[in-house]
Amino acid sequence: MRKDQNLGEYLRSQGVSRRGFLKFCSATASLMALPPSAVAQVAEALAAARRPSVIWLSFQECTGCTESLTRSHSPTVESLIFDAISLDYHHTLQAAAGHGAEAAREAAQEENKGEYILVVDGSIPVDNPAYSTIAGISNLDMLKHSAKDCFAIVAVGTCAAYGGLPGAEPNPTGAVAVSDIITDKPIINVSGCPPIPVVITGVLAHFLTFGTIPELDALGRPTAFFGQNIHDRCYRRPFYERGEFAETFDDEGARKGWCLYKLGCKGPITYNACATVKWNQGMGFPIQAGHGCIACSEPRFWDKGGFYDALSTGDWGSREALLGAAAVGAALGAGSAIRARARKRKAMAEEEA
Amino acid sequence: MENMTLLDFARGPGLQWALWIFCLGVLWRIVGAMYLLGTKDLSKFRRNHYIRDGLRACLTRSTPAEAFEDKIRFQHISGYAWHIALFVSVLFFAPHILFFESIFGFSWPHLPNTIILFSGAVATALLIALLIRRVVHPVQRLISTIDDYISIVVVLLPLITGLAAFAHIGGRYETMLALHLLAVELMLIWYPFSKLMHAFMTFPSRYQSGTFFGHRGVKA
Amino acid sequence: MNVESTSVHELEAAIENLEPTVERLGLSDEERVARAKRAFLRKLDGRKAVDLDTCLHCGMCAEACPFYETTQDERYAPVHKYRLLRRVYRRQLSPMRFLYRPFTPDITIDDLREWRHYVFDACTGCARCDMICPMGVNISSLIRIVREGIGAADLMPPRLQRMKDEQQQKNSIVGVDGQRLRQEIAKLNEQGVTVPIDKDGADTMLLTTVTELRMFPSQLGACASILTKAGANWTMYPDAFEAANIGYVAGDTAAMRVATKRIVDKAKEKGIKTVVVGETGHGYQTLRWLGANTVGERLPFDVVSIIEFIQQAQADGRIALKKQDNGASVTYLDPCRLSRKGGLIEQPREILKSMGFDVRETEPTGRENYCCGGGCGEYVLSTGSELRHRVFELKKNQFDDTEADGVVTACASCRFNLHVGADKTNWQMPIKSLVETVAANMAD
Repeated sequence: MRKDQNLGEYLRSQGVSRRGFLKFCSATASLMALPPSAVAQVAEALAAARRPSVIWLSFQECTGCTESLTRSHSPTVESLIFDAISLDYHHTLQAAAGHGAEAAREAAQEENKGEYILVVDGSIPVDNPAYSTIAGISNLDMLKHSAKDCFAIVAVGTCAAYGGLPGAEPNPTGAVAVSDIITDKPIINVSGCPPIPVVITGVLAHFLTFGTIPELDALGRPTAFFGQNIHDRCYRRPFYERGEFAETFDDEGARKGWCLYKLGCKGPITYNACATVKWNQGMGFPIQAGHGCIACSEPRFWDKGGFYDALSTGDWGSREALLGAAAVGAALGAGSAIRARARKRKAMAEEEA
Repeated sequence: MENMTLLDFARGPGLQWALWIFCLGVLWRIVGAMYLLGTKDLSKFRRNHYIRDGLRACLTRSTPAEAFEDKIRFQHISGYAWHIALFVSVLFFAPHILFFESIFGFSWPHLPNTIILFSGAVATALLIALLIRRVVHPVQRLISTIDDYISIVVVLLPLITGLAAFAHIGGRYETMLALHLLAVELMLIWYPFSKLMHAFMTFPSRYQSGTFFGHRGVKA
Repeated sequence: MNVESTSVHELEAAIENLEPTVERLGLSDEERVARAKRAFLRKLDGRKAVDLDTCLHCGMCAEACPFYETTQDERYAPVHKYRLLRRVYRRQLSPMRFLYRPFTPDITIDDLREWRHYVFDACTGCARCDMICPMGVNISSLIRIVREGIGAADLMPPRLQRMKDEQQQKNSIVGVDGQRLRQEIAKLNEQGVTVPIDKDGADTMLLTTVTELRMFPSQLGACASILTKAGANWTMYPDAFEAANIGYVAGDTAAMRVATKRIVDKAKEKGIKTVVVGETGHGYQTLRWLGANTVGERLPFDVVSIIEFIQQAQADGRIALKKQDNGASVTYLDPCRLSRKGGLIEQPREILKSMGFDVRETEPTGRENYCCGGGCGEYVLSTGSELRHRVFELKKNQFDDTEADGVVTACASCRFNLHVGADKTNWQMPIKSLVETVAANMAD
């Protein structure tokens, strides 16, 4: 796609029909909880959108987010939208390497000052910045430098949004989220491990359509995608209400598709679009595949107890600690009784006198 | 841990501290009361069936003697209904059973959520009714202490937050779940210092009453 | 009526004569409070701690109390009556006292004076509340300790104070002493009833009470006839005949101990095997159940009520009772200290039935029976007269409902209280004593 082409022209040149395009627009509009009347506006805005420049920085990450985005679908409208942005730097996807690649990043930043979108996946080690470097530049320095001139930051994946796996206890690298470092730019957290591809493209679509930051929840996530509770939207919810639970992964209940609460499903505390948008072209999502939600779009999901521990359980400590507390209590009780006995004996003695 | 959410606190350190204080306080109170100097009864007993008389009282005091039934029917029935509703909600809600299983290591069958919801609502309504009675009834109003009122509120909170979390009202689920856990923890902490201890004291008290009257030849 | 109302008034007048107009001086308020608290501490033990910690303040005990029942005055709720004890427990002995102390007010002299009304005028210690408590709290024993605290503070009702002082110091109650016993025995002798006095080698000792001697000497005569008929080797001691224990009634444990020790020492000195207690409730309780604990050692003799004696004699074939041929009906008033506090519930009924009486039960009866309203010194208190009369009315209606030909009791205090009430209300149901009924029906 040439830079002077708008998105509509580009899509048509790629063989995407008007019908297919509108389908995408209405899906995007409904995802963003826009009224049906907005579909035309979305279509118009998207068709006329100029390709924004995107710089994609990958820090302490597993490339899963990129995999999710690029490999989960055969070419679709979403991937074309992704093609439609000007991805000026992405060290996994770009052909350039070495100094050339870094030069491209610098150039894109210089050329689109104040307008480019900075996408970050992966967390940033601050314990010792040398734990993760690109071309000899620490993640911390690169983030600060790249964020300086951007329009907004999209933190893709739970690592960039909240520290994620690298930030799990005991967090050896001192991994932090983007929002822990950059405080003067709008940050959109597209969390998930990985995030749903259409959510990433949806956020970009929002940019292209409105040129603004979407409405965010308390955790910096677009409410359009993260406003719904998995448990509330789960097709297995009736089994929860009826008290029909799978006890193991291969029992009768599991085969019948009963609720996975007892097997540790974290759906009730997870906000994401999995149960509505689903994965792999709407084929399913983890719960549909028979595994409980692990709350991957929530901060510190890795440290919220075991994935297979039911949500209602807590970390109650150890039996030894409880017995210890009981022993201390018994000792205090005995001490208190001994002093009380002394008081009583004194009263007895005073009667005799 | 940094960035600890309310739920993380409620499920982790909050729960641990509450259980520690609970265990410590309960033992403190039981040992402290029972280890007080006892008084030996030197009289010749008419009957000397300690265990039989004691256990009988433990059982018979669960229902009032016929002569009293008419006068205390409301308290008798509401007391039973309240405890049954409470225990059904606490002990037979699947998520609760999972919680107990994580501590005790064994589990038992659960009831459908609609039944739990019903019993939880009944328990809440009854406790509120009993609170109102405490304020309105002249005898109860006179004899009530601050402990009585706080204990009712402290028990009401887990019920109300639990129902709210269950029904997804009043806040996001994880917030309500955290509040529910915190309310339970508040109750655990309040427990050993208050009348809630009656759960541990009732049967010893009935037992000693049974033996006291049993020695004199009275089935009490 | 087998008692002239003049003798009722005579006893009332005699008690009246004793009453000082004001509380006895001599103790400062602080001293009184301190004494009361010490008395509480002496009696609080693990048992009482469990009781106090178990109470839920449900208020059900009020529904068992005849004084609440007849007045609907919430201050007469049994749980309220022991509130002072609870406060001292929470401040001084409870394992959680460090926490409770700041929120629990200390007891004051005004509290003691206020509670005097609750625990003396509005409580006979009948223990009906003990039977209703769903937690199994021994409520009456807690109220009893409050009575002892007020007694230790020397704040008991002045009448009881004078009476217990008299008993402690002079071994007499409202003038009834060994001399009076001899006089009454002389009268009985004239009627052909022999009462052995100070007999050497006796193994059985009979106790009577001031109430029997002044009001119902025929009861003593009946006891004497029964003992003699049964072939007991028995006697009475003019210096140790009094089963009534005003120290117990007044909440003065020291005076109580003196009175109990007189009997125990005498029985030990004379090698008595069995002490038979005449028709009295609290006299039986203070010796049978509290005696050993009061003197601090196990008693080397048996204490039996005249009811138990009769039953044993019947069982041994030493006495036989005639059957009624007219099918007369009676109802039985359970004296609280003989029935639910003494374990003699079935026994008196069995005796009555063995005489062929149609025994009709009041509703409620037995273990849950209402007390007469005059027990534990209540019947001598002018301040309690209105309250006990209300309870009498309650009892009266229950007796009337049975449509029995008479009411029988086995406690002179109950009987006295019924007579006073009957006198006031012109109630006609005959009031009988169990021993008199038995004595009158002994076969030759």
